[in-house]
Formats: sequence, C-alpha cells, structure tokens
Amino acid sequence: MKYKGLSLLVVALLLGGATSPGFSQTAAAAGQTAPAGGQNAPTPAQAGPVKNGAPIPQGTGGPGGTSQVERMQKFLAIGAPPDPAAVERGKNLFVATCGFCHGANAKGGESGPDLIRSVLVLHDENGNQIGPVIHNGRPGKGMPAFPSITEAQISDIAAFLKSRYQAAANRASYEIQNIVTGDAKAGEAYFNGPGKCNTCHSPTGDLAGIAKRLEPDALQSRFLYPRPHGNREAATVSPAALPKVTVTPPNGPAVSGTLEHLDDFNVALRDSSGTYRSWSLEPDSNIKVEVQDPLAEHVALLKKYTNADMHNILAYLETLK
Amino acid sequence: MKLGKILFVFSLVCVSGCLWADGLDPAVLRGSLKDTWPSFNGDYSGRRYSELSQINAENVRSLGLAWTTRANTGETSGATIKATPLVVNGVLYYTVPDHAWAIDARTGRQLWHYKWESKGGIHIGNRGVAIYGNWVYFETPDNHLISLYAKDGSFRWSVEIADLAQEYFSTPAPLVIANHIIVGVGGDSLDVPGYLEARDPETGAVQWHWNTEPRPGEPGSETWPDKDAMEHGGGMTWMPGTYDPELNLLYWGTGNPNPVHAGQGRKGDNLWTCSIVALNPDTGKLAWYFQVSPHDTHDWDAVQTPVLFDAEIKGQKRKLLAQASRNGYFFVLDRTNGKNVLTVPYIDVDWAKGLDALGRPIPDPNHEPKTDGALAAPSAGGGTNWYAPSYDPETRLFYVNSTQSYSVYYLTDTDPKPEGYGGRDSGVWSKDYLKAIDPETGKIRWTHAYPSSGGDSSGLLTTAGKLLFAGDPSDHFIAFDPATGRILWHAGLTASISNGPITYELDGRQYVVAAAGDTLYAFTLPR
Repeated sequence: MKYKGLSLLVVALLLGGATSPGFSQTAAAAGQTAPAGGQNAPTPAQAGPVKNGAPIPQGTGGPGGTSQVERMQKFLAIGAPPDPAAVERGKNLFVATCGFCHGANAKGGESGPDLIRSVLVLHDENGNQIGPVIHNGRPGKGMPAFPSITEAQISDIAAFLKSRYQAAANRASYEIQNIVTGDAKAGEAYFNGPGKCNTCHSPTGDLAGIAKRLEPDALQSRFLYPRPHGNREAATVSPAALPKVTVTPPNGPAVSGTLEHLDDFNVALRDSSGTYRSWSLEPDSNIKVEVQDPLAEHVALLKKYTNADMHNILAYLETLK
Repeated sequence: MKLGKILFVFSLVCVSGCLWADGLDPAVLRGSLKDTWPSFNGDYSGRRYSELSQINAENVRSLGLAWTTRANTGETSGATIKATPLVVNGVLYYTVPDHAWAIDARTGRQLWHYKWESKGGIHIGNRGVAIYGNWVYFETPDNHLISLYAKDGSFRWSVEIADLAQEYFSTPAPLVIANHIIVGVGGDSLDVPGYLEARDPETGAVQWHWNTEPRPGEPGSETWPDKDAMEHGGGMTWMPGTYDPELNLLYWGTGNPNPVHAGQGRKGDNLWTCSIVALNPDTGKLAWYFQVSPHDTHDWDAVQTPVLFDAEIKGQKRKLLAQASRNGYFFVLDRTNGKNVLTVPYIDVDWAKGLDALGRPIPDPNHEPKTDGALAAPSAGGGTNWYAPSYDPETRLFYVNSTQSYSVYYLTDTDPKPEGYGGRDSGVWSKDYLKAIDPETGKIRWTHAYPSSGGDSSGLLTTAGKLLFAGDPSDHFIAFDPATGRILWHAGLTASISNGPITYELDGRQYVVAAAGDTLYAFTLPR
C-alpha cells in the first residue's frame, strides 16, 4: 500500500454528496506520515505532535509502543534522558546559583555564555567537565568560583544541562504553539464558497464533533490531505477516502474495486466481496485502468490555499465540537 | 589460498605501469569509465554517464541477474546500502554505516569485511568509499576517517574529522583529487558550523580546512547579524562534490543554515550556506560561490551533485555546471566563474517571489515557518535530495528523480536566539516523478509520473547504450529510453533502489549494479 496520490487516468471525481471521504473516527486516530525525503530521517511530522511536554498517543504508536520522541532520541543517538528527579534538583540549583549570569534556561545572559551549545558542556559526563569550572571559576573571564557546591549538586546541574540540550536537539519534542488563529466566519464562507468543501462534507454529518476527536495540528493536517501517505495502514483510513479503480482487460469484463496497488507494471484491487485481483500491465496488454481518487480535490486545493485560508478553515472546523 | 591467487591476478591487470600494485592510480580518475568505477560519481564530472554500450536499447529486454550479495552486518536490524560502489581492478567496494566490504565484481563473492566499533552518532547512511593507491577510505557516523588496506581490508589508521559530542555525524564518500582526500561532514541538531577538509592520504593529517561560514570581519560576514550566528550557522558538506581538472576547481554543494527552521536569529543571506562553491583543491581557497537559497528556513540544503558538462548556450560553447537543487529550482552556472546561466523551477514551487538580478530565488516571507503554520511547496525533503542525478551527453538532457510535495512549516522557537531546529515540517502530500530537463533552455523535455510512491528514491545512471537506469517507489529497477522516457525493461527487487546504480565491463561482459535495501544486484546479458 504505497501511494501518496494518483494522477494516472483520474477520469472522475467522486463528488456525490453522500460520500464523506476522509474524516472518520478511525482516520482521526491515524498518525500522519511525512513525504519520503530528507536523508530518510524520522521527521517531526512522523514524530507526532506534542502538547505540554507529553506526547499525544498517535494511533497504535510506534513499533514496540515507543513514543515518537523516544524514536527520534534513538535516531539522533543523543543518549537516554537523565533522571527527572536529578534534572529537577539541578534546575532549581542552576536557577538560584547560575541563572543570574547564564540565564534561567541556560541559554546565556548579560555576562555568562550559552551553556546549551557549549562545547565543554557537550563533552561533560556527569559533571566531570563542568565540575572543575564550577569549583574553580574562570577568573580571567569573570566567572566566580563556587567551591562549596558538592559533587552531588554538580551531578544534578549536569543532568539539568543534559536535559536542556537534549530538548534542543530532539526536534520531535518541539511544542507546536497555538495554531487556531484564523477567522471561523471566513473559514465557513470558504468551506461553502470557493473551497467547495460542502460538495462532499457536512458540519452536521461526517464532520460533526471533528474538533473533539483531533488536536488542532492534527486536524489541520487531516483537512489539507485526509489520507496519510507513505507508510499508510489501511485500517486507519476511511474506506470512502480510498481510491477506486476499474480495470478493463481487452476481452472484458470490467472489474471495479478499491485500489490496492498501482505501478507501471501491475494493478491490484479488492472487489466488493473482498477478493484480491491483480493484472500485469505489459506495454502491449491493452488493459484499461481508470482510477478515481476521491481526494483529488484536496490535492488541487493545496495549490490554491493562502495561509489565511488554511487558518480560517481550521478556525471554522474548531467550532465543530 | 584461492583468495591470494585472485589478488595476484588482479595485481597483473592494474593500470598505469603497475605503480600501484592492487590499487588505484589517481590518474585513472581523469579517464573514461570502462572496467572501473573509481569514484563516487564514476568520473569527476558527476554526470554518471558511461560510454559502455554492450547492454543497450536493442538488447536490454534480455538483461538478467548475474549475482546478488547481501550486506550482512551481523546485526538484527537490516542495513540499507546507500553507497555507490567503487570498482577497481575487478574488485567492488561498498559500505553501510560502520561497515565496508570488498567483493569480486564478477561474482559478488566476498573478499573481506571490515567493521568499525562505533562510539555513536546518527547511523542514517554512508555514501561509500574512496580509493587512493592501495588504500580504501571511508567516513563513519562517529566522525572518523578510516584508512584500510585495499587488498585485505586490514586497518591502517583512523583520524577524527569532527566532534561527536556536538552532534556532528559523517556520511559522505570521500573524494580523491591528486594527493588530497576531501572529506565533508554533517549534523543539524545543535547548530554547529560546517566545513570541508583535505586530508593527507598517507597520514590523515589536515592539509586545508574551509569553513562554510565566514568569521567576523571576513568577506561574507555582512550576511550574518553577529559572531554567534556565524559560529552556529550550519552549512554541512554531506555529499561528495565534483572536479574540473582543467580549471583545477573543486565544486561542492553546502547545506542549509542553522537553526534550520527559525531564521530570526540569523537575518541576512547566511553565506556560504545553501550554496554551490568552487574551491582550489590544493589550498581550499574559495574561487567563487553561487547561493541557490538565500536565508533558507526550509531545510533545503544545496548538497545535490553539481554536474559538469559543456554545451552550447545561444550558439556559444560554454563550460557549465548544473544542479537540480532541493529547493525545487534547477540552476545552470558558468563553472569558470559561477555566473548564472539559467534558473528555472523543475517542480511546482511557491516559496519565492521571483528571481533577483543574480538569478537567485527571492524567499517569500509568507512561506517561511510560522507559529500557526505556513503552507509551502516543496516539503523539507525537497524537490529532490541526495540521490544522484545524471547527464547524458548524447541526449544533452539532465535527469533527476524528483518529488512534488507540500508541507506545513511551524516555527516552534520564537526566542530572539533560537536553538536546535527551532521548528518543524509537517508533510501533507507528495508524488514522485522522473524528469528530463534540457539544461540549454530549462525546459522539461519529458516527465514520467510514478503511479506509486513511498520508499527511497533512487539515483540515476545513463549509458551510451541509450539507456537511463532508475528505481521506482515500488521496488522496481527500470531502464528507460533517455530520449523519450519510454520504459524498455524492468526487474522487481526486494526493496526500492537505495543508491546510485553503476556499470562496468570485465572480460568483455558489461554489468549494471544497483542496491536495493541490504542487497546488491548485478545484471548482465546472457552469453
């Protein structure tokens, strides 16, 4: 099941008002998948949204139930998070003792440098690098000595600084801010006007309560393109959002069903009885393949949206609680 | 005993008066590609074009499997071969992170396997080895340049080329020019500065070091607000460059500035990030630069191969350089001086307001990351990425596996001095295309839309057999007619093509070799 969108022989759009592609309970639970690319790193999109520091469960979650933040942490090889109790103790100590110069968040202040991207701090292991600096100070650079800070306290400060640079490095942990900034009235007008969303969708039908089921950033992703692409799991997508296909071999008869796979050499479908069928598409096979992608209009809209349109639609959908 | 005999035979067929025993005379890198694929891009030009034609449009339908070999790392999770193999004296060398192999290029039989004990780092991929003399060189995720003896894979030395603690990691294949081993580095997580180095092939010592950002007071520093921004400005050098021996210029693409998505702490163009630069390979001195994305905020590094060829522009023969850049634009430059010849998008892009007088896209602030999201095309993965393009001097077309895509870009760090990436890209939709671009006009000559998508995108290879080899997103290895885009042959493999395919001829037999996941597949014609 590997397609992101189909343009081959898209001969008709399912625009009947009865269909409601995309927004189903199951679709709502699906994690989004980013386009292939980058260096094939897990992207923030794959990593899922994070609110208030805690990952929101995304469907069935990742392999082995690990969170996306943990998966990113493994990928980045930035090491396991330090003991939260030590981080908390270290933070309190840091704010009280070091924050005046280095800033309460360790990003640097009027007189002390940023410690998050400090080469010395990054080389530290449990206080072995920062300990001597804290104990002896840096008289030439105006840093006083703190001889009375204990080894245990230095270890706590090291844990705090480690948590800070892990947070900066782990992009899957970044918190998306308020994105419901649009004008709901304008969004409603777009929905029923130039967007023609009401051709397929209804605020009292398929979209009723949609904002209760999805966080705003997930809802934004879903209305832009409801079918996750890439490593899509069929069970998580509304059947109405799946492409349909009609295959007509040269000697007939035509067979229709849900598209299972299409590449340059093969087409496969599942018919209404659930039976899987596939055909080879050799250059001289004269097999006619007609794909109907119910989401083609979503793709067409991507070229048309302004950021304001996008924010207004989201604001409107957010009223559907 | 058998191994010894094979190595003995190889040493008899060596080139250039056998000065180099089982090794490679760097002069071979200036020749044409017949029985060898001696460098990441084959020859120095980056065209990935071979003059071999035994396998050709007439007979490619009977192309069949010669051998396969699997990258057995001994670990449970499967490795993905992103390396372009090198073929020297009948031996094929390839890598995955921390591992290098030598195999018989005729049979796939393993000669040796070397494993580096890693201290960590991002194990995303390794692009392959370089060979100089009797020695093999490759980089590791924990930023070591390793030198091995080509004949048996035994360890010669290693040197550290970047600091793992600062989240650098290294993936490029080194590039050999004369007695320089050119090594690039990677790492975007903690806003570290990029650089390129030449290392001594005998000792690994630094010969020169070129920073991808100026230092305060130097030319280019006016494109940064301050010292701190420059020192944390990114600009990684994570893909091998190309070289023009006549001009003695080394061409390299540089990475995106850091913090990746939060530009408010680095107002300005941010030279020399997202640039194509020309350096003197003997000194590391900058000869010229062309910035393809001024002040990038979308992760669109410009490390894609700067491909070198000569062509006629408006009736005049020109020495050109072309790049299908990650930002969705295709650039053609005069490679003698870096002056822009043409700039044209090769996919739908919406992030630029137009082109400036130098031929650079002008970023549209509306499409830069916002706290509530900004829609932009393409996604962070870009119009294309690291997978190799190809230029065919017969069709005079530039080929690239490309992606049309949209993302919502979020700014997550609004601090005046953001750290880390400072934002996120949330992929919305994408679709993959193989495109043939006429670099003399910028017109897309033909497009093949892959009906499926997903998986890795593959690198490309063109040959004098009037063939263009590519991988599709559905695990097929495909030969296209490079003039028309018609499909001539395909084979279904166990995974999508994950590297750039190569070709070579041994004992009168032409082979085409491509990697799919953890397996190398060699194809040849029946006898």
